[in-house]
Amino acid sequence: MSTALTARALRMTRGSRDILRGVDLFAAKGELVALMGLSGSGKTTILRVIAGLETPDSGDVIAEKVGMVFQFHYLFEHLCAIDNVALAPTHVHRVSLSEARTRAQALLDQLGVGHRARALPRELSGGEAQRVAIARALAVDPPLLLLDEPTASLDPARRNDLGESLKKLAGSGRALVMTSHDDDFVREFATRVVVLANGEVVEEGDPHEVLTSPKHPATRELLQVEKARW
Amino acid sequence: MTRATAAGALIILLSVMLTAPVFGQPVLRWGGDSEGGAPFVEADPSDPDKLVGFDVEIAELIAKQLGRTAQFVQIQFASLDQSARRGDFDIGLSGIEDIPARRQSLAASVPYYEFREVLTVRDADRDRYRTLADLAGRRVATLGGTIAYEHLLAAERAHGITAVSYDDDVHPYSDLVLGRVDAVLLDNVLADRAMRRNAGLYTHADAVAIGHYIVITAPENAALRDQVNRVLRDAMRDGSLEAIFRRWNSWNEDQRALYDRVLDPNWVPATGTDALGTQGTLRTVRAYFPSLLRAAVITLILSCVAMALAVVLGTAIAIGRVYGDPVTRLLLTTYVEVMRGTPVLLQLFVIYYGLASVIRLPAFVAALLGLGLNYAAYESEIYRSALEAVPKGQLDAARILGFSRLQALRLIRAPQAFRLALAPMTNDFVALLKDSSLVSMLTVVELTKQTTIFATNIGSWVIPGLLCALLYLAMSLPLGYLARRLEQRWRMPTT
Repeated sequence: MSTALTARALRMTRGSRDILRGVDLFAAKGELVALMGLSGSGKTTILRVIAGLETPDSGDVIAEKVGMVFQFHYLFEHLCAIDNVALAPTHVHRVSLSEARTRAQALLDQLGVGHRARALPRELSGGEAQRVAIARALAVDPPLLLLDEPTASLDPARRNDLGESLKKLAGSGRALVMTSHDDDFVREFATRVVVLANGEVVEEGDPHEVLTSPKHPATRELLQVEKARW
Repeated sequence: MTRATAAGALIILLSVMLTAPVFGQPVLRWGGDSEGGAPFVEADPSDPDKLVGFDVEIAELIAKQLGRTAQFVQIQFASLDQSARRGDFDIGLSGIEDIPARRQSLAASVPYYEFREVLTVRDADRDRYRTLADLAGRRVATLGGTIAYEHLLAAERAHGITAVSYDDDVHPYSDLVLGRVDAVLLDNVLADRAMRRNAGLYTHADAVAIGHYIVITAPENAALRDQVNRVLRDAMRDGSLEAIFRRWNSWNEDQRALYDRVLDPNWVPATGTDALGTQGTLRTVRAYFPSLLRAAVITLILSCVAMALAVVLGTAIAIGRVYGDPVTRLLLTTYVEVMRGTPVLLQLFVIYYGLASVIRLPAFVAALLGLGLNYAAYESEIYRSALEAVPKGQLDAARILGFSRLQALRLIRAPQAFRLALAPMTNDFVALLKDSSLVSMLTVVELTKQTTIFATNIGSWVIPGLLCALLYLAMSLPLGYLARRLEQRWRMPTT
């Protein structure tokens, strides 16, 4: 298994707050790694550091080309779904517009939103917008895909669809790293879970093991909070 | 103190202040324009609160003979007729010319001074430009709403000159010195004064036309006018008018001849040829509408080009303020605050007159620049906030996808910002359309200025005002419609 991501000893302080306190994170191709932790544990910051949106105070990130799907999707509001997907290939990778559109349509079809290709972002449901955002990230063919809380706004049926899609993406040789609050989803679809608390990794391993018999108090607390929420 | 007694005290205080000059003696309010300057009416250089000039002395003479106290009311020269009709003052005198339209719409006195309309040119041109006919294809300046302006309009048709109208009598001559115009036609009193002020000018002695100054009162106040006439005639007989004009170096033998005519019991005011005053409404409209339409085209072109300048410059400023380094941002912020914080009229004056010693911009160019530079400040604020309204998350997404900052701006941020900016931009364009009337101060005759000329000539604002409003609406309404259509097409979820 080849490594798509190696992050070592990431530290980041903002003001008087330690956001990351020496985090190590690896992801191999074919893996779906779930980052779990209470709000403020540093999950989203890790994704942003890996994506290059934030610079850590110290530590290294060695990552292949990254794609990212944001919690609030952040589709380009003035462009329809297919143009959201085709924009980067045409302007960044100089693919011809017709070819980029053909590939964008194929990606949208693959994710089950091909029929919404001409819809503007404001006309899409939350689930549809998310799948368009995934297609947009995949359009530049990144070996590493980051997803921030992808299950947050989905109903149970859509959650399952998403899980299957992500499994397929990992199966086709990509490394996926997602943040999640949803331990059922993580148990079912992730290949590995990493639990964070206060900017540190406190526990990691097979999702079934870690989430069924948590060893660290922070993991137990996390599961209780999640249970209370459902 | 109760509210009622407080209000009562205030009313008493105000009435005391208003009638302060002499208790018991009624006031004679006289209207004039102290911007008209010496020798008519001007602030005393040694005591700016005090007015001096021959019109001031004549007004005081009339008041004294009527047993009243003269009280000055400042009225803009071009508005004197309208103010007389509204009753803003009892009598008006400020170098007011005797024209038929005035005699018809107001009660006008006998003439008290005769002047000659004379042509002033630069010294070097004294042999080249002797008459209006010599000035074909040239720009000739005068004061708007005067007989001289009517003469220039006639010369436009007859000799192909270009008439340029000013709101004051100082700038026609200073622009003549600068070469912005090639001649000035005004009365000899003003020409004499200008010759003393500016070197290198030459005034031809021959009169292009003869005119007279009169005192005006509201049309229903003919009784007061008759009293004024009695006072003026007495003053002509006993030499007190002559004494006043001699004090102001304005006496000449033309006046003695004028007084002889006016004192003749058979004297009647010359009716002259009145261009339009006696014609019907429809003919008046037909006569003036083409010039209003032309002026509307000027307004439209001026507004469109100035707006284009404002959009381009405003975009650059907005981008500089969003993406620039701290020094750039500070400079641009300063520009925006200065342009927004000072009157556009002042900016226009600085560009046209203030910079004249450095660069002599043609009036139209100065007007374009002034409006464009001013509106750029407002546009930049709209664009800046629109750029900042595009969610940062989209820019993060663009960065991860590999777009450069410029690409993200061009492909993602700017198109969305433009949709957000469209409505306030339309608003500004309509405002600019109307603000463009300020450029008449730089001698550009646009719609509002042409309307004023129209109204002054026929002595009424009703028809000119109505036509002017219709033309402005004809320009602004389609614009609003177009903007609404575009907005609907590009509607943004965040609006």
